[in-house]
Amino acid sequence: MSPHLSSREISEWVAGTRTPERENHLHECAECRGELTRLQGVLLEFRDSLRDWSAGQAGSSPRPVWLTEGPRGAHRLRWALVAVAMILLAAIPIYRSRERQRQADTSLEDAVLLEQIDAGVSRSVPAPMEPLAGLVSWDSTGSTASGRQSQQKK
Amino acid sequence: MEPVAVSGFLTTTFESAAGELDDFDAVVRLHWPAVFRFTLASVRDPDAAQALTQDCFMNVWRGRGTFRGGSTVKTWIMRIAVNLVRDHARNRRLQFWKRTTARALDIQAAGERIPDEQLSAEARMLRSERIRAVWQVSGTLPEKQRTVFLLRFVEDMDLLEIAAAMGLKEGTVKVHLFRAVQSVRERLGGNE
Repeated sequence: MSPHLSSREISEWVAGTRTPERENHLHECAECRGELTRLQGVLLEFRDSLRDWSAGQAGSSPRPVWLTEGPRGAHRLRWALVAVAMILLAAIPIYRSRERQRQADTSLEDAVLLEQIDAGVSRSVPAPMEPLAGLVSWDSTGSTASGRQSQQKK
Repeated sequence: MEPVAVSGFLTTTFESAAGELDDFDAVVRLHWPAVFRFTLASVRDPDAAQALTQDCFMNVWRGRGTFRGGSTVKTWIMRIAVNLVRDHARNRRLQFWKRTTARALDIQAAGERIPDEQLSAEARMLRSERIRAVWQVSGTLPEKQRTVFLLRFVEDMDLLEIAAAMGLKEGTVKVHLFRAVQSVRERLGGNE
């Protein structure tokens, strides 16, 4: 029988490095087989314990919150739509207020303009010629004051 | 072997693997416990493990259209989980105090959690000690060794699946696994 497997060889076997020679030795040698079985037994105990412990933890069963609510992208889109709606709701009163202010300003401007037009229409002479109005008087025959002045001089 | 037949077989296999993702609820139900267990054993913080598991399946959901069946669905999902755990570990290096607290708490919990069996008090105590020892050692292993160790001995994945999940060669996986097993044996006193 070949010499016992070293600690390294047993670890290599467990790690997946296996040769026919070692396999033969393990068939023949109860001591090495026992050593290997003990190690594999501890690893199985560890696996079972960890599985059991993990199953007892909160979160061990499927709880994909995002799956029932849709993908995160849809979630974000929903929030974006809500935000847009809120902004619109806040913007409408402001817009209406500004619109009313603009209409009031326009009405005022219209009133001022109408007053100016009325004033212009009610003038006997155009505004630029008003300074001459005092110097010139109009009669029914169409002759001017300056014409009469020239006749008096003669 | 006829190339056409092989190609047809592979195409069918890949399509069937990719088709598994069509029933996403079933995928979640089937793989959630394993992903949560792996993340919990890796980060040793139930809240973080749950968050990582959520993130993992979120990534699976988002990436399901890109999965072409180059591996099994389980291997693909575990690869995502491995990457998330790795990123989490990197982020946690700046929060040493939190990691220490969480680990100390979970070692106790894991060691005392024994499946129901008819064992004597002494046998239960010895078993608890062994489990706690393995848990303790696995927590001190370097990241890759711990990941390989957990995937092999807790998730029962074979070496090729682990290699695919971690993006390593099979030989590298064997080396990491060998070192992890050696560490466990040393801690258990079997390295005479």
